[in-house]
Amino acid sequence: MVKIFFAILFFGNLLNAQNKQLLYDFIEIPQALIVNPGMETGFQWHAGIPMLSGLSFHTGTSGVSVNDLFANDGLDFTQKFTERVLDGLSHRDEISTNFQIEVFSGGFRIANKPDQYYSFGMYVESDFINYWPKDLAILGFEGNADNLNREFDLGHLKTRGELLSVFHIGINKKIDRNLTIGARAKLYSSIFNLNSTRNKGYFVTTEGQNNIYSNTLDADMELRSSGIQEILDDDSLDLSRTLTKRALFGGNLGLGLDIGFTYSLTDQTVFTGSILDIGFVYHNKDIKNYTLNGRATVEGIEIILPQALANPNADFWQDLVDEIEEIVPFDNNENGFVTFRPTKLNASIRYNFGEPSLSTEDCNCGPDTYLNDSRIKYVNSIGGQIFVINRPRGPQAALTAFYQRRFGKSLALKTTYTIDKFSFSNIGVGINSQIGPVNFYIMADNLLAYNNIADTHYASFQLGLNIISWEKK
Amino acid sequence: MKKHIFYIFLGVFLLFMTSCMEEQNFDQIDDLSITPTIESSIIYVESPERLINLASGISFYTAAFNFDAFSQAYFAERVLDGSITYELENTTSKEMEILFEFLDEGGNSLDSEQFFLEPESTAVLQREVFYGGTGRSLDIIANTSSLSVSVRNLGNSTSISSIPSPKIVLRSSAKFRVRLK
Repeated sequence: MVKIFFAILFFGNLLNAQNKQLLYDFIEIPQALIVNPGMETGFQWHAGIPMLSGLSFHTGTSGVSVNDLFANDGLDFTQKFTERVLDGLSHRDEISTNFQIEVFSGGFRIANKPDQYYSFGMYVESDFINYWPKDLAILGFEGNADNLNREFDLGHLKTRGELLSVFHIGINKKIDRNLTIGARAKLYSSIFNLNSTRNKGYFVTTEGQNNIYSNTLDADMELRSSGIQEILDDDSLDLSRTLTKRALFGGNLGLGLDIGFTYSLTDQTVFTGSILDIGFVYHNKDIKNYTLNGRATVEGIEIILPQALANPNADFWQDLVDEIEEIVPFDNNENGFVTFRPTKLNASIRYNFGEPSLSTEDCNCGPDTYLNDSRIKYVNSIGGQIFVINRPRGPQAALTAFYQRRFGKSLALKTTYTIDKFSFSNIGVGINSQIGPVNFYIMADNLLAYNNIADTHYASFQLGLNIISWEKK
Repeated sequence: MKKHIFYIFLGVFLLFMTSCMEEQNFDQIDDLSITPTIESSIIYVESPERLINLASGISFYTAAFNFDAFSQAYFAERVLDGSITYELENTTSKEMEILFEFLDEGGNSLDSEQFFLEPESTAVLQREVFYGGTGRSLDIIANTSSLSVSVRNLGNSTSISSIPSPKIVLRSSAKFRVRLK
């Protein structure tokens, strides 16, 4: 069990960032519309290969890597754990993971509205983040002895995880030569959700008023879940059928919105931005919440005479236990709740230069054609991006510098350098190829860590396969 | 162009193929030792001198209290070593004797600690008794189901201490190391 826990802790939750800096504004790839619905598009239509059109896995751990703990270095494991985890991590360190698997996707342009591109699809997403519960870990590892007057902060317990499917439909509209905007409506169907992010309180041992020590628990804690109890309790449950049903509108439902834009500041300078997952899920099915709420101070059994003589048969120990359970009850309920999606913000500025790869002069596409109003495409692009995601302990940001190179119509390459909470040496590469109508892309992050993958704090991987028809030129 | 694509994908392929990982040993998790030390008060007994004077005979107070904390499986099966600390005060005008006993489920005495307290003492008598290791047997702790406190008045039943609010006080706490893993 412990091994499974650690495996989940250090591998399963690989992803944190959900930052798709390689995919963002990679206008040759249809899935880039998912991270900016206002991206410049040149597709006539596209169809994703089901289950293969968009796969992405991200994982991140701050503070400690798998190698830090499990390297076969002959060091005492308990000592490594104490030094590198207990003493080395703060309550802001985290493990997070995210994956998205696109089930189907597509897009098309209507003949009489050539400046609009419609896209749609469905993907399954899992998102998990767990902050290191430092004080609780120290309490469990060291105990309260020799920690007199230290308040162990129960608020260090902060975790959130979910699996959900997302149905979406988006519109991308070229307003004029300089501006493209887009929006995407989302319907979430939550498969399961588990969160405990609003805990408060402390546990402290102090010198007692009467007895030697006094232990005080002041707790306001809650763990909320949906979609889990049925799986745990019902042994006869057909799991795959249940999960499929929940993924297809049978789960707890929610709504969301993505918006984005692309604006050309000059002929060669482009500014883009997007806000993703402004949304919520309302959980009202298969709910199980647990609460611990109250304040109690205990100094052991107290026999104060002559009052204690009034009831010679009193069970002081049981009375004490009952009193604590009454003052600080551990309860459960089935109250519905709302969770908000981790909203993300992307923005970039791109400078295009070098040999033009496409110009309006080459177009020759008639008076009503959308491309008549297109800007010149250049083979090189350089720029910077910012990514911010809303997390339980506040926003997290990542900064990226990128260079993109197009080799004819068939190949485009993007390389990025990103700094964030997990790494200051994250170099990534993305490659997109277009052979006939077949589009294939593959992207990987933090390549420098590949000399020892176990030592990485961050890794991501994306690939996809599409059929694309480009606008006729 | 096809050549370009081939070389780039070959590069990606080689990158993945040449990536490596230092040898990891996940079985090390079995060696993780988690042995917190927990500390808590056990029992507090207090009696004023005026009550002691009302009692007839030498035995002033005897009572056994249910105390399941030590015998709970999660504690009894994991306890490694530790100690019980006693602090006693006697500001009454009498010499007092306190007997603290650990009883098993059948009411049999497993261990005891006896204290003699001088009258009108302003000092706190402190004693720490160790269990496990070179101390007394841990079975005493693991099998304790109740605690017994007996207080005997070795003085008279009439005098009153000159110290304000004279009383006899017993404080106790436990400090034990347990193996969680």
